[in-house]
Amino acid sequence: MDAYSSSRRNGWRGWLLNRFVLVPAVILGVAAAWDLYASTHDDGLVAGQVFDAQGKPVEGADVTLWVFSFTTFAENRSVKTDADGRFRIMGNPSHHIQVSAVKPGLGSSQRIPIRLYFRSQNTTLRVPLVLSGKAHDAPGHPARSASAPGRLDL
Amino acid sequence: MMRRSPTWPIHLALTAVCVVMLVPFYWVLKTSVSGENIFSYPPNIIPQDPNIFYYVDVWYAIPFARYFLNSVIVSAITIAANVVFNAMAGYALTREFRGKGFILMLFLSCMMVPFQATIIPAYLITGQLGLLNSYVGLALPQFSTIICIFVFKASFDAIPGSLIDAAKVDGLPEWRIVWTIMLPLAKSAMATNVILSFIWSWNNFLWPLIMTRTPEMQTLPLGLARFLSYQEDTTGALYAFCIMVLAPGILLFLLAQKEFIQGLTSGATKG
Repeated sequence: MDAYSSSRRNGWRGWLLNRFVLVPAVILGVAAAWDLYASTHDDGLVAGQVFDAQGKPVEGADVTLWVFSFTTFAENRSVKTDADGRFRIMGNPSHHIQVSAVKPGLGSSQRIPIRLYFRSQNTTLRVPLVLSGKAHDAPGHPARSASAPGRLDL
Repeated sequence: MMRRSPTWPIHLALTAVCVVMLVPFYWVLKTSVSGENIFSYPPNIIPQDPNIFYYVDVWYAIPFARYFLNSVIVSAITIAANVVFNAMAGYALTREFRGKGFILMLFLSCMMVPFQATIIPAYLITGQLGLLNSYVGLALPQFSTIICIFVFKASFDAIPGSLIDAAKVDGLPEWRIVWTIMLPLAKSAMATNVILSFIWSWNNFLWPLIMTRTPEMQTLPLGLARFLSYQEDTTGALYAFCIMVLAPGILLFLLAQKEFIQGLTSGATKG
């Protein structure tokens, strides 16, 4: 029984309960749910932890957020880590970012690329930023090609 | 009793043809989730490290939602106009009147004139009507298409004339005959009209390129051109964009494919 013949037999219920209505309705429902989720998780929070080369938390390290801008990554903002080496960057405006850390005397970390499912998505790095231990290391080299899609390190 | 020949060779051949025809679609889909360079050798059949971030890139690189909305509005106007005008024209061509043969020949000959040849008059007329850079103006040249008129005509021809005569005896005006008798019996033709007019409107590039004046009125094909013009390293994102543009058309076809095939083949056989 096709959608048309069923719609003729069942009146308004037939008009509503057919594939031409149900499929768009399901798509709209999924889109609405996704929008709702995104709107409640878009504070732009990027959180994580910084360790030194020996695996100890680093206090007072500068953690920098790099935001993809047209063709390159531009420095956006920096925060310092607390006594446990933790950091919280607020106000990330992008969906394609990198994070790096540096502390004089302890060196710098590689930039960790982060891809997000929507702009300003709240995220916590599962992999910590590890300082190289080389005192004169130049900060902020990308961990991999800027254009390559990195795995989502949440 | 007649012995039936096995059907598996036909199914095997059809499966092989399906695979050949679906490979390009699969390749686009695969590249959109892997970003693999199309020149890489040997190519990976299965995508390596698949992700949807190229889709996210496309969404934010251009005002995709705006372009999508524009395309939807223009396509909806086009579909509505096509169904109404083509049904009326198709119904008229089922009636007998003087010069019908000439009109049919005129329609057929007009099918051979490409739109590029008439685009300047179309632009001037749209400008005279004050519809440049508007949704109605974007849809206007596709308000009626000759192929779809013939689809309706073929479908209406298959309806018994006695049904129309009975409606006339009951005092129904012509427009009600079309609306309440012909159209409900020609749903496959209507589905064909919907699909064809949607796809033509959705993929239209040249007309929106010429008549839109602001980025806010641009449609998805123009968005694709804009996207290509300033996005570097586009392999994955470009294919993701293609999937996002193609998806509504494919979905609509899958939803109405049965009616679509019926509409195209109605009138092809007699008896």
